Amino acid sequence: MTKRLTILIAAGAAILVAATAATAKSTDTTITGAGSTFVQPLVAAWTPALGKAFGYTIQYSGVGSGAGIAAITANQVDFGASDAPLNEAQQTACPDCIQIPWALSATAVAYNVPGAPAHLKLDGKTISKIFLGTISNWNDPVIKALNKGANLPDLKITPVFRSDGSGTSYNFTDYLSSVNTNWKTKIGTSTQPAFPAGQGAKGSSGVAGLISRTSGAVGYVDVAYAIKNHITFAAVRNNAGKFLFPSLRRIEAAASAFTTVPANNAISIVNPPKSAKLAYPVSTYTYIIVHKRSAHAAELRKMIFWALTQGQGTQFAAKLTFAKLSANKKVLVAAEKSLKQIQAAGN
Amino acid sequence: MLARMEAASIPAGSLPRTRHVGDRVGDGLLYGLTALAAILGVLIVLAIVWRVADGAWPAIKIFKAGFLWGNEWNVNRDEFGARDLIIGTVVTSFGAMLLSAPLSIAIGLFLSELAPPAVRAPVGTLIDMLAAVPSVVIGLWGIYVLAPFNANHTAPIIQSVLGWIPIFGGDPHTESTVFTAIVVLTIMTIPITSSICRELFIGVQSELEEGSIGLGATRWEMVKTVVVPSVRGGIVAAIILGLGRALGEAIAVTQVIGNFIPLRHTLFAPGDTAASRLANQYQGASTNTQIAALIYLALVLLVITFFTNYAAQRVVKRFEFRRTGGA
Repeated sequence: MTKRLTILIAAGAAILVAATAATAKSTDTTITGAGSTFVQPLVAAWTPALGKAFGYTIQYSGVGSGAGIAAITANQVDFGASDAPLNEAQQTACPDCIQIPWALSATAVAYNVPGAPAHLKLDGKTISKIFLGTISNWNDPVIKALNKGANLPDLKITPVFRSDGSGTSYNFTDYLSSVNTNWKTKIGTSTQPAFPAGQGAKGSSGVAGLISRTSGAVGYVDVAYAIKNHITFAAVRNNAGKFLFPSLRRIEAAASAFTTVPANNAISIVNPPKSAKLAYPVSTYTYIIVHKRSAHAAELRKMIFWALTQGQGTQFAAKLTFAKLSANKKVLVAAEKSLKQIQAAGN
Repeated sequence: MLARMEAASIPAGSLPRTRHVGDRVGDGLLYGLTALAAILGVLIVLAIVWRVADGAWPAIKIFKAGFLWGNEWNVNRDEFGARDLIIGTVVTSFGAMLLSAPLSIAIGLFLSELAPPAVRAPVGTLIDMLAAVPSVVIGLWGIYVLAPFNANHTAPIIQSVLGWIPIFGGDPHTESTVFTAIVVLTIMTIPITSSICRELFIGVQSELEEGSIGLGATRWEMVKTVVVPSVRGGIVAAIILGLGRALGEAIAVTQVIGNFIPLRHTLFAPGDTAASRLANQYQGASTNTQIAALIYLALVLLVITFFTNYAAQRVVKRFEFRRTGGA
């Protein structure tokens, strides 16, 4: 009896030791991150692959871009993620923070107009006037002129916007600012713009839900969300005069149209020039933000390099409707160069 | 009654004759622990006020009292004014109070005085359970059920009757409205106010009720002259507790109100409240001024809450005074 007990205890102890050893192994390479909910599915898809490649455990919380920036500024996490580049105040608050573009996508303009064609055509000026409240009916001559022959109802337009801070709002207002100076001076580009008309809803799902229930509504959601949920979205006219839906190739076309990368890596790719014939005009980069001096410098360098290269593979990016960073080699090179700035703390 | 008789029948000899040292220590301990808890409560309130005021200080320095009547909320220009958010908070909360107070008193009366005993327990439990529904769930129900119902039925009907009053003007088919927020808050405050009202009415001495019936009063006269007046102060306190919930509710309101300022002059249009704006913008705040302005907004909300509670206590005291004649 005692013998059996001893064996049992020994076995139990062995299991315990093994278990602690296993947890110890994974905890010493845990990398924490917080921020954008938009890239969260992509980070989630990367996590097991990064675990397999380097043995890292990535703990990412989708708390929103603004909160992610606050978290990295306060050194609560190893990296932050934001769909909007750092603004002046944020960069001042975190002087040694650098941002690196690590994913590429776009914003879709969704609508709910009963009886309207499935491929409504809109241009930037019209969208900005709708959101300014100056175009307020779907049978407005401007919208009719863009959609010749379409049967547009006499129906009030209800603009729908994100009420919470959002990178999608940033991308959308960045586009509207670039096509309409009136928008730029009155509202500007922001993650929390002060919209002058319409109704707000929380999150992509809130916006999409409100659009689907309100006849005459128009709003914006990220492309991944729009495609996954079969939301009707508009074809937006680019500078070449083409009306285009967002697709991976068209987002990549927009990215490749911009050849200079600013020193701080903040690259706006909305409203690309005429030469980019197949570019979807409301595209955007999204960023990872890290301290130049980091306790996990080596691990972060490895992780980000992996995300910039293997992480862009079809099984991760395209599957979740993210375009490939390699569409613009200069951006990719600049991103990889930025990695060198991440150094171990205390050096 | 039974309990009292049992207590009386215990033979005197079995009671402890002398106080032990342990008793004295126990009494002291009881006093100390309860006093500590009370002081802790006060300290926590003070700490919250201090922390909020401290966080709001940068915004107080920039916007001063003008924050209260400023009407711009522009993150890009770092301009913040809370007027429409304060009005939105007051309109939604007091609107909800106007609807929920009579309903709650009626529910309380029905369950304590009028309903057959077999009905009281199940109906009372169901209404109490409404208080346990998380606000985010009520908000979701508001989005998917109540908002479309109001836009398609309630609001158009109200407008066809009362449309000549400006606050019922505008497009009644709007999905996210101040009106829906008021209804959501009403539903959230009813279980709080009605369950306290019920307990208050049950607590009215049955001799008084039976006496008035015996003197030939009808049920309505009994309720009107005996039951309600004897607990008037308590009813006010119950309503204020509900109001407190309505003032601070963020999530359920944000889901149905449309988060839009400037406020329009109708209930059938989107609006916003202080708590709702806090819930929406705090996490994603992009400048330090915005963070400070949001905390300033929280401070204003805190002051509104304190003020309503203080006013309520005054009202309760006055009723008490009138009832007891100052004795």
